[in-house]
Amino acid sequence: MVDAAAIDRPLRDFNPWPAVIVVCLVCLAVLFLAPTLGVLLSSVKTTRDIAFGELWTIPDTLFLGNFGEVIANPAVHRYILNTILVTVPATAASIALGVFAGYVFSKLPFRGSDVLFLILVSGMFFPPQVILIPLFRLFNTMGLIDTLWPIIIVHTALGIPICTLLMRNFFATVPNALREAAILEGANEWQVLMRVALPLSLPAIAVLATLQFTWIWNDFLWPLIFTNSDEKRTIMIGIVNLKGQYSVAWGVQGALSLIASIPTLIVFLFFQRYFIKGMTMGAVKG
Amino acid sequence: MADLRLENVSKRFGDVQVINGVDFAAKHGEFVVFVGPSGCGKSTLLRLITGLEETGGGRIFIGGADVTGMKPSKRGVAMVFQSYALFPHMTVEDNIGFGLRLAKLPKEEIGRRVAEAARILQIEDLLERKPRQLSGGQRQRVAIGRSIIRDPKVFLFDEPLSNLDAALRVQMRLEIARLHKRLGATMIYVTHDQTEAMTLADRIVVINRGRIEQVGSPIDLYDHPANRFVSGFIGSPAMNFIDVNEHGPENCTSLGAGSASIELDGCQVAGATAIGIRPEHLELAGPEEGDFPATVEIIEKLGAESLVYLQFDGSDLPLTMRTSPEHPLCAGETVHVRFNKDRIHFFDRDGKILNRP
Repeated sequence: MVDAAAIDRPLRDFNPWPAVIVVCLVCLAVLFLAPTLGVLLSSVKTTRDIAFGELWTIPDTLFLGNFGEVIANPAVHRYILNTILVTVPATAASIALGVFAGYVFSKLPFRGSDVLFLILVSGMFFPPQVILIPLFRLFNTMGLIDTLWPIIIVHTALGIPICTLLMRNFFATVPNALREAAILEGANEWQVLMRVALPLSLPAIAVLATLQFTWIWNDFLWPLIFTNSDEKRTIMIGIVNLKGQYSVAWGVQGALSLIASIPTLIVFLFFQRYFIKGMTMGAVKG
Repeated sequence: MADLRLENVSKRFGDVQVINGVDFAAKHGEFVVFVGPSGCGKSTLLRLITGLEETGGGRIFIGGADVTGMKPSKRGVAMVFQSYALFPHMTVEDNIGFGLRLAKLPKEEIGRRVAEAARILQIEDLLERKPRQLSGGQRQRVAIGRSIIRDPKVFLFDEPLSNLDAALRVQMRLEIARLHKRLGATMIYVTHDQTEAMTLADRIVVINRGRIEQVGSPIDLYDHPANRFVSGFIGSPAMNFIDVNEHGPENCTSLGAGSASIELDGCQVAGATAIGIRPEHLELAGPEEGDFPATVEIIEKLGAESLVYLQFDGSDLPLTMRTSPEHPLCAGETVHVRFNKDRIHFFDRDGKILNRP
């Protein structure tokens, strides 16, 4: 009797929710991975194969001509260089400003600093469409249209709220006693930040570096608005520019798309051990 | 001479007056313990001395120099924090040498002084480790090492042992006492643990509500407390307090104990509203010699002595008595207890002591 009850119990206690969640997650994963798979497949096929509608089939032979064409194209080199020239300074500047602001809001609060912090963070909630025309007019007046400067400046500015928010919350978890101990040892605020607080906030900086780099590298909108000539285009606009007048070179675009995603992949892989730690930080005190 | 002097020091946080006109002086080489209940302002006073908090009023002198407006690092003080405050990303060696590196001393000099501090604290083997690889006691030693390497005029300890377990606390307490003897430096030590205060201090400063209640040697405070607060705070178990009946017989103190009362013949101080008596000054007696009967509620056998928690018959007033463990007492038993009348403390309505037993 006892054994029978023990055998019955698992059936009675069956909880369908984990299975439902797994099925939903698998569906979502397929939905998200399908375009990547499409790009991957198109990049290793000839334009002829794709034109025959064989996009989703596994090719018999790998055609690497698309990659060769992309790598040999001097315009692509320029796109990549422009994107690096935008992404690296904008990422570094937004993180640096976020670190300074976050440190002040967390460790050196002043009268009205909480309100200022809220105003700063509320900058995250402005949709780009709202500020698009004023910014265009502003940079046009300054004579900066069709240069990389507006893209760098806008991405730096748009990155400040999230960088400040994350860094302030991270610095709040660094005990005040560490700052006080360093000050008693003779450190000034700059030395406290650089020698104590910053080395402890590598997880937060890794998260920000990954997010900012990916977001700026993949951005399509701002380079489209602020640049006109092919010499100033970034890689995401470049992918679109690779289409012909009467046809779309799917294979070449697919190859460039994959090449364009390599830097973000490298950044993520480089920072991932910090990234996971950073995503869970602050959840548990200690 | 690295003496410390506070002149009318005060501090206010918003509407709350945390430190209230404190005057105090510590001599060179003295070990002074600030003791008081949680929130009494003892840690704030320490932070005012370090300069981590700005004073609201008054002046602070270290080694004769006015340091009131000076930067913390220029005051010649070093502090050991309750949480150790070791830099987690640095090795023990880097933690100890942090201040010297900031001061841009030559590497050889830093290495020599770190090694010397490590030798004094017996942590030579730990220099390459990170703080997370250390036990609580080892971390505490590193924190002390960081403070002694700078050769400060005044050492400040902010409840440094409160995160350690009981056994380690006793051990570290001894080590701090040895360190004081060895360095001969002025040390200010904050604690709420009055056992630490009694065992370490040359002098104890009892603080309550931002004011100094009494300053004196541990034995002086124990035997001759200035008021009821100090009497209750110094000594473990605490002193017993019993209210005095207003209208008692002449030449006699009548103690109120619920519906019962205790008459202490030939023992009276005018104006007393309460008496205090330490647990060791209550003793067991026969029915004739005893001042009052009481019921044994709980007995704590500590080995060398026993603490007996008594209750007056007819009241819920608790009393603690320290006895020899040889007395064969058991809970629920009725015993007769006698006051050592020479050791009774009398307090007036404001809690001020009226006699010097």
